[in-house]
Formats: sequence, C-alpha cells, structure tokens
Amino acid sequence: MMEAAAGRTRGAAELWFSCIRTHRTNTWWDEHLTEDNASFLKKVVTEEYKQQTTDKLNPLKDEPWPRHEWVEGSRRVGLVAVKLGMMPVWTKSGERHVVTMLQVQDCHVVKHLSKEEYEGHTAALIVGGKNVSPFHRPEGYLEVFRNAGVPPKQKLTTFCVSDNAIIKPGTPLYAAHFRPGQYVDVTAKTIGKGFQGVMKRWGFKGQPASHGQTKTHRRPGSLGPGGDPAKVFKGKKMPGRMGNIYDTTHGLKVWRVNTKYNILYVNGSVPGHRNCLVKVRDSILPTRLENNKNPPFPTFFADGDEEIPEDLYDQDMFQFGEPMAE
Amino acid sequence: MNECKCVAGLASSAAAACLSSAELRSHRSALFSKEQVRQRSLYPRTEKIEVMLQGPGLQGTLLVMNRGLSTPYSCTRHLTEWHVKSSALALVDGQPWHMHQPLIHSCDLTLLTFKDDDPQIANQAYWRSCAALLGHVLDEAFKDEFSVELLKLPEVPVTAGAFCCDLVLDSRLDSWTPTEVRTASSQTLLTFEERAAQSQNGTVSLYRCGDHVTVSGGPLVARTGLCSQYEVTSVHKVGECEWGVLRRAQGLSLPLNLTAHHNVWKMLRKRAERLVRNVFVCDNSVKQVKARHCRQKHCFNALVSF
Repeated sequence: MMEAAAGRTRGAAELWFSCIRTHRTNTWWDEHLTEDNASFLKKVVTEEYKQQTTDKLNPLKDEPWPRHEWVEGSRRVGLVAVKLGMMPVWTKSGERHVVTMLQVQDCHVVKHLSKEEYEGHTAALIVGGKNVSPFHRPEGYLEVFRNAGVPPKQKLTTFCVSDNAIIKPGTPLYAAHFRPGQYVDVTAKTIGKGFQGVMKRWGFKGQPASHGQTKTHRRPGSLGPGGDPAKVFKGKKMPGRMGNIYDTTHGLKVWRVNTKYNILYVNGSVPGHRNCLVKVRDSILPTRLENNKNPPFPTFFADGDEEIPEDLYDQDMFQFGEPMAE
Repeated sequence: MNECKCVAGLASSAAAACLSSAELRSHRSALFSKEQVRQRSLYPRTEKIEVMLQGPGLQGTLLVMNRGLSTPYSCTRHLTEWHVKSSALALVDGQPWHMHQPLIHSCDLTLLTFKDDDPQIANQAYWRSCAALLGHVLDEAFKDEFSVELLKLPEVPVTAGAFCCDLVLDSRLDSWTPTEVRTASSQTLLTFEERAAQSQNGTVSLYRCGDHVTVSGGPLVARTGLCSQYEVTSVHKVGECEWGVLRRAQGLSLPLNLTAHHNVWKMLRKRAERLVRNVFVCDNSVKQVKARHCRQKHCFNALVSF
C-alpha cells in the first residue's frame, strides 16, 4: 500500500489525540538509500527534467491549440518570475530611474480551467515557475505536473484569461511575452516585519520627542471620536503583524527585456525579498491600456519565424555608447 | 505412501477442474493441515535439543528447545520483541531455514533481518515470498467460475526489478487484458507455515498462507506483515503452452523497515512493469540485467557483489 510521504500538521483541537503512540509511517526520501543511490536518483531527476523541457520546446509538434489575434478587451496570461535585484537606468534626457530585474526561470503553463470549472465568468490558466526537486513535495502536488508533462514547480498561480488567449498546458513562457514600453502589475508576498507599531505599520505621526512628553513618543494617541459612538470602530488601525502578505504594485513600466537570460527590467520597486517568486501580468490601470496594445498574443512562441534581438530597449531609455543629446 | 498421495493430490489439481477455485483451496488447506498433524506426531515424546545463537550481541547464548516442535520463531520469543518483529529468516548451520519450520536437531541459529550488512539471503527469500503472495492474490482475484492455474514461481534475482508468477487462465479469459492492475493485498498478518513433505524425488516444501498453499524452491519470509508496500505492476502474455495462454504477472514490493518515498517507488514501479526475461542466478547474465536504470535500496544492492 502506498503511504503518504509528508506528515500532516495537526490543529489545536487534535492535541488531545497527539499523546496516542502510533506507528511512524513517513520518511525522508533517502532514509534507506546509499549515497551512490541517492546521487544516482538526483542525476536521473535532472535528466528527466531536461528531457521534459526539450520535449515541450517545440509546441508546433504536439498538436498546439489554435492561436488567435489580439482583440481590444482580451486578457492574456502572465508570467512567474524571480526577483533578482535592482539597478539604475537613465533616460535619453538624463533622468535617472531605478529598475527591478525579474528573471523568468522555467515558466510553463500547467493547467487549463474552462469557464465552467473556474467560476463561470472567465477561463483560467495555471502557470508554474522555477523547477523544484520532487523529493520534498507531497504526491498530490506532483500529480498536476505529471499530467502536463512538466517538471514540478515551486510556485503556481492562476491567471484569469479570455477565451481567445488560452494556451495548451506544457507550453513554455518566456520574458519576450512582455515588450519594452508595456505596463505591468507585479504581485508578490511582502517581506514579513513581525509585530510592528503603529508608526511603521500605518505611518502615524507619533508624538514629539521632548517638551514634556511622558512616555509617549510612538503611540497611536486617540482611538476615535469619544462619547457619541462610545466605541472604537472596527478596522481601527492599530499595532499588529505586518508584512508576509500578498501585495500588488500597479502600473510598472517595462524598460528593457533580455531574451537570452529571460530578464525583465521593470520600473521602481516590487514587493518581496531577493530571489522570491513574483506574479507578473498586464496592467489593469485604465490610463495604461494604451501602452499595452498589440502584445505578443496569446504569448511569445520561441519556434516562430520572427527573429528578435538579444536585448530589447524602450525608446526613451539611454543605451551606453549612444551620442547624448545636449 | 500416504505422503506421496498427499503431494500427488495437490499437484494434480488440473484434473479436478470440475471443482471451483474456492473448493480447491479449502481442499488443499485441509490436506496441508492433515500433513501438519502427521508430521507433528513423528515426535510423540518431547526431546530436548540445544540451540546456540550466533549473531551480533547474541554470541554464545544457549537455548534449550523441543525437538520437532520449536521453531526459530519460538527462539526469538525467548529474546526480545524487537527480535520477534524484525527477524525475517533464520540460518540453521548456514542453511536458510524458514522461521516457522521446526528444528529437528541441535544446531547453530542465526537470525537474519533486512538491515544486516549482507542481506542477500533475506532479500531473495523476501522476493520469493512476494511471488508466492502474488500467486495467492491472483488466485483470489478472479470469480469462482474461472479457473486459475498457477504454474510456477520462477526464481528471479532481486536485481531483475520485479518478482513474477507464471499462470494460465481459463480459456474463456483468453482475450482478457488487465485494464487496471492495482494492488489487492490485505494487511492482515498471515503467517507462512511450512511443512516438508516426503515424495519420491526428495523433500518438497509446502507453504501455507491463510487459505492458500504453494510450493516454493526456498524458504519464505516469516509473515506478510513484513511487506509495507506491495503492488502488482503488470501482466504480460508470454506464450502458449498445453493448458492455454501462458501469462506472467509481475509485482513489486518493499519490506516494512525500508519504506520508499513515493517518487522513488514510482521509479521502481516503472521498471517493474517491464517484462522480466528468464534470468538465472549466475554472474554473467545478471551483469547484463544490472547494466541500466533504477537500482534499488542498499539492502537490495546485490550489484556490489558482482
């Protein structure tokens, strides 16, 4: 009989039962393997991943789904990327901006959910990014990837997509999906700050440092109007746990796209720490819809006829070696 | 002559095709019990024998046991619960000996587990017992009106990747191909009981597990509770013989203290689905089998010895 390899976490209600001695059934993957067996298995897994990726490189070969043209109002899929770091960028008029570099590593479409399956309004595509070893994931998690023929991924996200933009599961996605000049929204889990006071968490002004203040420098002060409601309203901003939640930054301009290493240079800062996985999609801000017209639709396919250069720059961006307009 | 008739009765079950499988099984089981009683009555007076235990931590322990009645299992009951649970096979004077086979003379006893330094013998015995279990499972898998003839359990080395069982199904099932081959073994602790029966050629060992009686070429493991993961991986059509279409069923199993991660198990299982050609346990041919793909756990790493 197959036994689940991962142990289950117990809720507080089940602490009562945790004193019963049971037979331990879970094990780590190389508990009973010799070293050469373990290294052999690791090698086999990497080769299998390479094989699966190369199999999916040629979408034309295995009955791809029909590709439609971009229409006003259609929503296309996004990407999962890794936040690498930040660097400066200059415009042709000499202004300095900072950009975040997001690298698209092993991004594949993993599953397609039709309108009925998802919610009744739009279809959805589940996309995974960054390959991960199968030995530390439960069996149920790996099943989706096995059905798609794709190595298991660290992060899975769902993108709501219009019906003309659906892509076959197993298709790889590249950074060239976005072009310089487009505007994107980036969602990621913010850095956890722990339990924080009201000044850092909500930006309250606090109290003066001196001039007679007794033990009151960073406190919230008054909690509300007073006698008439005679209560504190729900949702009052107070100290508490800050960070480690999903947050989106909207309307970030793409300055540059490197197709060789699949890196997007996106304006400003992005939530999350370095090497965290972020979700990138076309911006929904109404003022930026103009810039997102005619994108590669439904996505950029590497086997197509168009030859794109290694680096794509935005027209406003200054590239080193160009003559400067004084 | 009584004994020979016993064995002949068991072997010629093909002639009793008019009986249904369930009746056949109970008939064989009854014969086995009769034979067991007869062999017990060979030693009417209780005689004592001395059993010297060998092995790490047990050197020189002397146990005084009963002749014809005490088994290596009862020797472990005198030690600790760990010995009872973990010993899979015993070595009596260097010969592999089933845990429930009675000892007939004073000897040296070594207990084998799956985690010894050299678990070759225990592994091979485990493989044989899994093949016997496979026969049992297949016997019970079909409805009573279809007859299942288990031909033999070929002696396959552990490195081949899967244990197999050759069988011939009823002629009505000639076009049957398994749609879903899944494990059906139960977790009840059934003990393999063993009796050596005298026949014209020499001794033939019979093993009973629950209701099912098999003939086996070597000693089997103590009980089915020792297997943790068990799966019937595939059924291949091998050829034709005089009774019908010859099929080979293959399976994969791992013992209780060597549970595999689900990924590793899947890889082993993929390998076990491939048809196992008849391999003999000799150096050259096994080297060819060893050449590629999944190696098994360190216990099963018989490659080292070749």
